[in-house]
Amino acid sequence: MAPVTTGATGDGPEREGEALAAFLIRRGLQAIIVVLIVTMITFALLRMIPGNVAVAVMGPGAYRNPAAIRQFDRVYGFNLPWWRQYFLWLGHLVTGNLGFSWKDNQSVASLLANRLPKTIILVGISTLIALIVAIPIGVLQAVRRNKFTDHAFNAFSTIFYATPAFLIGIILILIFAIKFPILPPEGPQGEGLGVVLTNFNALILPITSLALLTIALFSRYMRSSVLDNLTEDYVRTARAKGASERRVLIRHVMRNSLIPIATLVGLSIPGILAGALITEAVFNYPGMGFLFFQSAQSQDYPVLLGFTVVVAVATVVGSLVADVAYAVLDPRVRYVSA
Amino acid sequence: MGPAPHEQRSRRSMRFRLRRRMTMGVGAGAVALALVAAGCSSSSTTGGTTTGTKVQGGTAVWAEPPATVPNYIFPFTSSAYISVINASNFTNLMYRPLYWFGNGNQPTLNTKLSLANPPTWAGNTATVTLKHYVWSNGSPVTTADVMFWVNMLKAVGATDWGADTGFPDAFVSSIKVVSPTELQFTTNKAYSHTWFTYNDLSQITPMPAAWDKTNSGPSNCATVVKDCAAVYNYLNTQAKNLPGYASSPLWSIVDGPWKLSAFNADGHVTFVPNPKYSGPVKPTLSKFEEVPFTTDAAEYNVLRSSAAGGQKIDVGYLPEQDAPPKPANATVGANPLAGYTLAPLYVWGINYFVMNFQSNTGNGPVIQQLYFRQALAYLMNQAAVIKGPLRGYGTQTVGPVGNTPVTSYLSPSLKSGSPFPYDPTKAKSLLTSHGWKVVPNGVSTCTNSSLCGKGISSGHQLVFNLPYASGTQWITQEMQQLQSNASLVGIKINLQPKPFNQVTALAAGNCKVAKIPCNWDLANWGGGWSFVPDYEPTGETLFQSGAIANSGGYSSATNDTYIKQTLTTDNPQAMYNWQDYLAHQLPVMFQPNGVYTLTEINNSLKGVTPQNPTLAFNPENWYFVK
Repeated sequence: MAPVTTGATGDGPEREGEALAAFLIRRGLQAIIVVLIVTMITFALLRMIPGNVAVAVMGPGAYRNPAAIRQFDRVYGFNLPWWRQYFLWLGHLVTGNLGFSWKDNQSVASLLANRLPKTIILVGISTLIALIVAIPIGVLQAVRRNKFTDHAFNAFSTIFYATPAFLIGIILILIFAIKFPILPPEGPQGEGLGVVLTNFNALILPITSLALLTIALFSRYMRSSVLDNLTEDYVRTARAKGASERRVLIRHVMRNSLIPIATLVGLSIPGILAGALITEAVFNYPGMGFLFFQSAQSQDYPVLLGFTVVVAVATVVGSLVADVAYAVLDPRVRYVSA
Repeated sequence: MGPAPHEQRSRRSMRFRLRRRMTMGVGAGAVALALVAAGCSSSSTTGGTTTGTKVQGGTAVWAEPPATVPNYIFPFTSSAYISVINASNFTNLMYRPLYWFGNGNQPTLNTKLSLANPPTWAGNTATVTLKHYVWSNGSPVTTADVMFWVNMLKAVGATDWGADTGFPDAFVSSIKVVSPTELQFTTNKAYSHTWFTYNDLSQITPMPAAWDKTNSGPSNCATVVKDCAAVYNYLNTQAKNLPGYASSPLWSIVDGPWKLSAFNADGHVTFVPNPKYSGPVKPTLSKFEEVPFTTDAAEYNVLRSSAAGGQKIDVGYLPEQDAPPKPANATVGANPLAGYTLAPLYVWGINYFVMNFQSNTGNGPVIQQLYFRQALAYLMNQAAVIKGPLRGYGTQTVGPVGNTPVTSYLSPSLKSGSPFPYDPTKAKSLLTSHGWKVVPNGVSTCTNSSLCGKGISSGHQLVFNLPYASGTQWITQEMQQLQSNASLVGIKINLQPKPFNQVTALAAGNCKVAKIPCNWDLANWGGGWSFVPDYEPTGETLFQSGAIANSGGYSSATNDTYIKQTLTTDNPQAMYNWQDYLAHQLPVMFQPNGVYTLTEINNSLKGVTPQNPTLAFNPENWYFVK
């Protein structure tokens, strides 16, 4: 099932509401299946990683202590077939228990609870800023196509689109924290949202670093989308009817041009939760991305699986948000069985 | 030897896994490029020293190693959590081991800081007399507190003590509590007194009676071994409540110079002086803070910002890729940070990569040949690795005993350096004289099986796979250099960069004893071994036949005899005989011991140096001057 574009637009609001509800239920059920499949594949892939997990956790000296290895395997179920381990894990998941990190000595839920808000603040705000800045830039570029403004912003987006995240981060730190020490070289330090929000100046550089990359991406999409729409028949018709250029642009072109951006935003939701590894690492702001990296390094499977569940759910939700956004932006889209 | 790899792992291999990997991938290139891009260059003043008057109080901030934070407070730490950051940099500040090691830059018993006097011996009985120390709740530190730990070792040591050596049961036949300040260990045979103190008694950390409890109330682990498992489970569960560390009535009972005042699971830790500390050196600082970092590049940014008047770090570190090249005969190069002093710290240990004598790839018989191992050793150019990739911050590993710092354990002959300096001509000669047709830049082949050695057939080629822990720049460069050097005599080495965990899982245990696959020839996890917390570098753990940590499975009756002598006599000649023999036997391939950390110390903070090669940590010695 998916939102489909139909020629008919005469359905009543009641019918439309029912269709949307049915669509959401269908997608919700699909989502559960998708998340289950993702966790199953992830679980199987993790078990295929070469090497002994107990040794990975305990380090090179683990072999000195075979009893400890056996105990580790018994406690964490590694003496069972992988599918039984999976169903054990799934059973815990259903009861809200995401497991316990072997390396961090904390429950996965508490790790996620600490890291997720930090990541949402960092990536969410930078995405929001990027949207606010990129949409007008894209429109402006399209309207002034092949003029200086277009070339200038093209150069801007090409440079930042092509620049690695770490380089932007390091340059910002060198300039604004070391050469001219007006901002901290690291993100807010400490646990909890309160610490993050009360040290907002520490977020300026990481947010700027991420936003510059995202602005470059979004503005390019927006520019090409607006250019496509400007050549459409409905634009010519609107102009022929005497609509002002401003009205054509804002009332007609803008709305249609936002559809690909809605897709991008929907698909960026998992990214907002998954974190920005490089930016987090450069700005000493350990969020979800860095947690995943560390856990992968130490084969901390419970954390990896918990992370996968969160990102899988976010992906499904993001896709759903994008679909709903289509309908809001394009009246031709209706939620019927494909 | 103790669980040194665990200890080493926390900084050395954690460093390998994260700090170096991240910074090679993210930071190193980034810093270099960004410096160019921003047109910035570091000043090159050497951090000088500031003289002044000692200030009472102040807060010193210490940078934790990259991606490494304290996360386990119970000093009886299992393998999963035992590490330098949890032991040396966290629990030992609050809960003191019975014996403290490290005198200046020597890894020796520190009688001043130990809770007990050195044991006195009568036959096979060691008498340990406690000094007068008190817990912060006012109770004295007694032999019951020592027995609490010893009994816990007996009960759950094999599974839950990360530094398990078999002590006490494997070596001690009886323990007698004579009084609250005196107890006697009678060993099951005559052991070297030094070895017993340095490698067995060194494992003990007295625990307060207030910890001897379970969920259902007080227990008796200090006197009844079978009670200890439940007590361990209770304390281990309490240690999983990280947010509760600073406020816990259990963990607030300390006998060390510091107590926790704040603890965040993200790694921000604050200590304040324990006003009841009864040891000889009371803290001068009013607060000691530990702060976490994702990577060493992130730490360096903050350090540079600190140097520019931004955030504050008093004791941090320089990323190895930013290390100023060290001129010959100097301790350090020109420090890029103004206002700081650069002080390299070398850990008490050895570095090597493993050769699998039990390999079933077909190369096992080749590795078993002494001439082949010696040929390979002549191709390992340790001096060039130190001068090049390590920028001068490393020392050659010359044998099974650490040579940094030079100690009384090191034999006079090995003090003069490695028996196998780089010499491809000698390597070639060893191969040709043993029946190999050497093909430079090709693959050498055995042409005379009777000369090549037992189990090697004519036509066998010198081709080896060498998985190594990726992400550490100097190890990668060292491996590439060895590959190139080996090709000069037709030894083809296929380098296989792999994650650290995969290399250790493959090669950190004797494959036959640990019952893991033997289908590998050479493997390098990069970290070797450090002699902590079993400080005397005897060889029973690493090199004795059949030892599980004897990863390559080297076996020699002569070596075993020499090892036995090191365990049973205090005559230094026993150590010399053993290491001189083994240095030439090459049970492993010795490689340079890279610097552990390039410490940067705020010039207004004193007492940080000399740094302890055992990685013990004494911020109570630190003070500010003005």
